[in-house]
Amino acid sequence: MRAAGLLLCTAAFAAAQGVDANKLIHPPADAWLTYHGEYNGQRHSRLAQITPENVTRLARAWTFQTGQNQAIKASPLLVDGVLYLTTPDNLWAIDARTGKERWHYRHPANNAFHIGHRGAAVYRNTVYLTTPDCHLIAFNAEDGKKKWDIIIADSNKGYWSTNAPLVVGNHVLVGVSGDFDNVPGQLKSIDADTGKVQWIFYSTPPPGKPNSRSGPDSGGATGGQFWTTGTYDPELDLVYAGTGNPTPVLNGGARPGDNPWTCSIVALNPNTGKLVWGFQVSPHDTHDYDANEVPVLVDADFNGKPRKMLMQASRNGYFFVLDRTNGKNLVTAPFATVNWAKGIDSRGRPIPDPAKEPKRDGVLVAPMESGATNFRPPSFDPKTGLFVVSAQDGYGIYFFKPEHGGYGWAGADYNVAGKSFLRAIDYKTGKIVWSHAIGDGAGTAGVLTTDTGITFSGDNRASVIALRTSDGATLWHEDIGRVQSAPVTYELDGRQYLLLGGGPSLIAFALP
Amino acid sequence: MCARQILVVLSAAMLAPGISIAQAPADSARTTKKAAPRDPAQSPASTPRPKAASTEEFPAAEVRTGEQRFVSQCGFCHGRDAAGGETGPDLTRSEVVASDMHGDKIGEIVRAGRPGGSMPAFPLTDKELQAIVAFIHTQAAKFASLSGGRRTVDETDLLSGNAADGQGYFNGAGGCSRCHSATGDLAGIAKRYDALTLLQRMLYPSGRPAPAPPKATITTASGQTITAPVSAEDEFSVIVLDSNGTRQAYAKDTGKVQIDNPMSAHFEQLGKYTDTQMHNVFAYLETLK
Repeated sequence: MRAAGLLLCTAAFAAAQGVDANKLIHPPADAWLTYHGEYNGQRHSRLAQITPENVTRLARAWTFQTGQNQAIKASPLLVDGVLYLTTPDNLWAIDARTGKERWHYRHPANNAFHIGHRGAAVYRNTVYLTTPDCHLIAFNAEDGKKKWDIIIADSNKGYWSTNAPLVVGNHVLVGVSGDFDNVPGQLKSIDADTGKVQWIFYSTPPPGKPNSRSGPDSGGATGGQFWTTGTYDPELDLVYAGTGNPTPVLNGGARPGDNPWTCSIVALNPNTGKLVWGFQVSPHDTHDYDANEVPVLVDADFNGKPRKMLMQASRNGYFFVLDRTNGKNLVTAPFATVNWAKGIDSRGRPIPDPAKEPKRDGVLVAPMESGATNFRPPSFDPKTGLFVVSAQDGYGIYFFKPEHGGYGWAGADYNVAGKSFLRAIDYKTGKIVWSHAIGDGAGTAGVLTTDTGITFSGDNRASVIALRTSDGATLWHEDIGRVQSAPVTYELDGRQYLLLGGGPSLIAFALP
Repeated sequence: MCARQILVVLSAAMLAPGISIAQAPADSARTTKKAAPRDPAQSPASTPRPKAASTEEFPAAEVRTGEQRFVSQCGFCHGRDAAGGETGPDLTRSEVVASDMHGDKIGEIVRAGRPGGSMPAFPLTDKELQAIVAFIHTQAAKFASLSGGRRTVDETDLLSGNAADGQGYFNGAGGCSRCHSATGDLAGIAKRYDALTLLQRMLYPSGRPAPAPPKATITTASGQTITAPVSAEDEFSVIVLDSNGTRQAYAKDTGKVQIDNPMSAHFEQLGKYTDTQMHNVFAYLETLK
């Protein structure tokens, strides 16, 4: 029902100039306006030209070479026939019909971490880019001319950014990374027009304010970074975002208690930055289990009643369903091998097992540091009610001794071995409906589902793969290089495209 | 140069699932040292620091330039100070770094990357590379002059287990003796690896020397049966090494492919160990000197 309504809306707004607030809520078929495509983070497309019957006929329409050493980890945006693609320090505007570059911004060399970049954001006629050294830069979408350039965090203090901002109204929400240093986690709202700071939400107390009224006592923990892109519910007017691990990372003794709001999902008012509710996915984390995975928003039945839900398959190995109006837990169930928790508490939170905290002689822990899943986005398929996620079963060994101290990593850990799968979870029960092996080690590709019942992703060698969403059977694959981004899709001139990165190349597929 | 040998080394790396860079195989095709075959790329935190071949000092400006590039491109994995990060080994304790002269060893790895995707290749100019080399050597010298270290795991940390119980588990419930023998393949194992490396290899063998690769038995459409070591595999094909060491690819949909992977038992064992059993078996292996 809702899908049909959205399709009608798209026609009405297609003629609007630039990307306004309404268009972001009701994106047209010929666009991919935010990192997740839509505010709900479902990464599910209603486009139906590519079907299980014809998917084997997909062929390359064009390829764009970034010329970079690093693989594409971003989801490109599509606005008015132009794609915006990022890698660390780079933003390209690319003609979506031909794959030809229109303009390219290259940020000056800097010594912040260049581990990846998730994408740009767009509002009206402005494109926003975060840089490794924590600048947020606004560009004229048409010609790439810089409008303003601000600093969102001090990269000399250990922050860096890979973040694709989330635009809500005239708020550009940006986060940074930083778990090598004891620095507080922060989500900033920047005025889309002027670049002025509107508000800052701290997930742990801001510097110099250990008992800040802005949040609960974190028990001495810093960290809880917002390094991924959140989601937004326009009806409730709430932004949802996941926070990263506490610091010091492996030394839990230095920060007693649950350490809110690290490893948490928080619901914030986008106009004020005030916390409406928080749910801690990993209380007192000692294994680097960031809860930054996508908080996917779903409106559907739960126990026979329509519910506004939030779902996250978290790095700690548990799948959570929450009532997103109030943060109350509906489902907590493992979707990968876990041994770090000794049960689930009355609020639906896993209870960490002290025996699995890092020790001098080492403990064997599942999942390992790279996680049961990670930055790679999942997808929710409304037709089947399946939540499809790139999962990993595996173990790591974790060490801590007092000599490691209380700063930064404060310990040592090593991944031992893992195996990866695309897994489909029934959101009503948390049960695994199917599991499709994609290779050894951790996966890197995100997931896209479509209304025709296809799940697109990548395996751990070099293939883009298409599976049948209902049972996980393989429909199509092609060797394009290791996929480290999430596929996106859109319709242009009546043709549906599938777009994804294979290594450092951006490849557009379409039916002949 | 022996191209085939390199090929084998490369493919062995691909077989080691879940390896982090800390466990990437070393450049065995190049290394000719007669010392114990310890993997220089293993996080050697539990070993004494290797002695540097070069005691060269570098111009401060070059070191600063190198630091900038190192931090931005290498720092996430290897740490901003080169002493280890989220997934990469501590370079200040690396034997590759210790044996490097003017970038001859470091440069090769930086430009070619590590096999299996554990480290990408960085196509740097000579000048850029020299600056990074200057920074890494400067850091290695700096750390060698310090005691302790915040990411170290020492041999004494790991010896908490009971060797006799470990032996019992090895020969009994653990099932280790089904494939291994203390007087056979594991004789002297504790002499061959430092403590942390031995623990890692006990849990899941990878690195150098490479563990035995999986074996594929392929029945082709024409009914021919081929048995060969696997170089790489995915859902769609298997690549094996023929008797000449050449890679041969077989599509899985045109014949029957059966894979026998000796590593599977190690992976399954990860879910069975208690931490005490793990420490006990390790203590037992440490007695095999």
